[in-house]
Amino acid sequence: MALAKQISQTTDGHVVGGQRLARRRWPLVSVILGVLTALTMSLSIWLIFVYTPIDALQGETQRILYFHVPTAWAGMLSFVIMAGLGIIYLFKPDERLDWLARASAEVGVVFLTITLILGATWGKPIWGAWWVWDARLTATLILWFMYVGYLMLRSYMGRTVESARGGAVIGIIGAIDVPIIYLSVNWWRGQHPVTQIGTQGALPPQAVLTIMVALVAFTLLYAFMMVQAYQLQRLQTLAQRLRIQVE
Amino acid sequence: MRMTRVFCLQIWAILWKDIRYELRSKQTWLGMGMFALLVLVIFNFTFDLHPDTVAAIAPGALWVAFIFASLLGLGRTVAAEREQTSLDRLLLTPVDRKAIYLAKLLGNLLFIGVVEIVALPVFAILFNLPIWQGSTLLTLILIVILGALGIASVGTLFSVLAAATQARELLLPILVFPLVVPVVISAVRATSVVLVPSVNEPPWLSLLLAFDVIFLSASTLLFQYVIED
Amino acid sequence: MQTYLIAAYIIAWLGVCIYLVVLAMRMRGVRTELAAVAELVREQLEQKEQ
Repeated sequence: MALAKQISQTTDGHVVGGQRLARRRWPLVSVILGVLTALTMSLSIWLIFVYTPIDALQGETQRILYFHVPTAWAGMLSFVIMAGLGIIYLFKPDERLDWLARASAEVGVVFLTITLILGATWGKPIWGAWWVWDARLTATLILWFMYVGYLMLRSYMGRTVESARGGAVIGIIGAIDVPIIYLSVNWWRGQHPVTQIGTQGALPPQAVLTIMVALVAFTLLYAFMMVQAYQLQRLQTLAQRLRIQVE
Repeated sequence: MRMTRVFCLQIWAILWKDIRYELRSKQTWLGMGMFALLVLVIFNFTFDLHPDTVAAIAPGALWVAFIFASLLGLGRTVAAEREQTSLDRLLLTPVDRKAIYLAKLLGNLLFIGVVEIVALPVFAILFNLPIWQGSTLLTLILIVILGALGIASVGTLFSVLAAATQARELLLPILVFPLVVPVVISAVRATSVVLVPSVNEPPWLSLLLAFDVIFLSASTLLFQYVIED
Repeated sequence: MQTYLIAAYIIAWLGVCIYLVVLAMRMRGVRTELAAVAELVREQLEQKEQ
């Protein structure tokens, strides 16, 4: 009887609390983030296509970079967040950290996929090749593989504590590994390819402004997606837990 | 001092248990060796090796064979123990998790190393490589052992993780290949520098050693979180 | 030159939108499931009380 009472308490707490949270608190955050994202994104599109002058050397194609750089930034950011959450999780296990890490990996893989495709479509007209095995590209590709491996492992292991710990371990090892990969590919190539982007002095001020706005817009988009993905992780865990109680 | 001795004894006990198990079953290391040789044979056909191209392609062929073969062996790290549920009993014993990791790592390294050192002369014969001077041979063996250590240190950690799932044969390479890229690059380049000396190369052997140390220490520290119940 | 730009932007937006749609669909799926399971729990509790 005591057990039944306990179950009723926890389930009521879960169900009611979960539904209330799902309906009220998160949508407010989502709405704010969504509106901000839409505003900055429209602004940055206007900046990209109307405001900035056409690049003298690369022509129209250079405008790809205004999206390529921010998506790459969001992809790297989510990896750093994932690794940081992994370290915290190992010291202080809390399932919310794990939901956040998993959401981060999921959003990160979306952004990195877009980054790689955009980079290829920029590279084809400018470099004459879809892909070049330079350090930056290789490290990004390997990072993408790590994300995919992480997500595969997590989906195979289910929602357990071991799965969360394993994810944290992959995040940490990956964070150690990515700089090493970058360096070793650099040595392997024997030469440092000239940085085409990021040389701030070469960019006109309009371009710098555009890229900054685009960075803000994509960071907001990233935050928006993170809130959604985190919410999804939370609700999925909740549903699974409830089903176990029923069975 | 006594702690260290106990630690080493624990490692040895687990390692010796695994060695006896593997010697009795034989299937893992025989399979690994045959697999490595077959990959080398396939490479001979896919690249149509000539005496002038062999020095450029041989290091890559050798390391592809070694990596695939070692992943076969790594998959077996705790698979047998999971199947017979003796892993729980191993975890119940008052043994440091680091000792379990190091024992498993040494076991993997031993099997991979034996297979690779046996495959190395065969590889040299099949591809007509000039490796028979003392110093060249010693350097090559050192590179092979260091490369195997790098792959095994990450591989042991992740094989325990992957063994907890249904799809461990699939997951292990997906997790391990991206992570061992630095080890692979430096091992391949070090091998090709030994075969064809060239100037202006970074010190690949020292880099390989550095990567090994990084991976080994990170994996040793993180192993307890992977295996704890 | 411009084809690459157009292709790149279409791909980027398509990628973002597809992911958002997939997220929304998964969210709706899990909400339905949650409601169904919550109903089951409620029924079970009622049975126990009787």
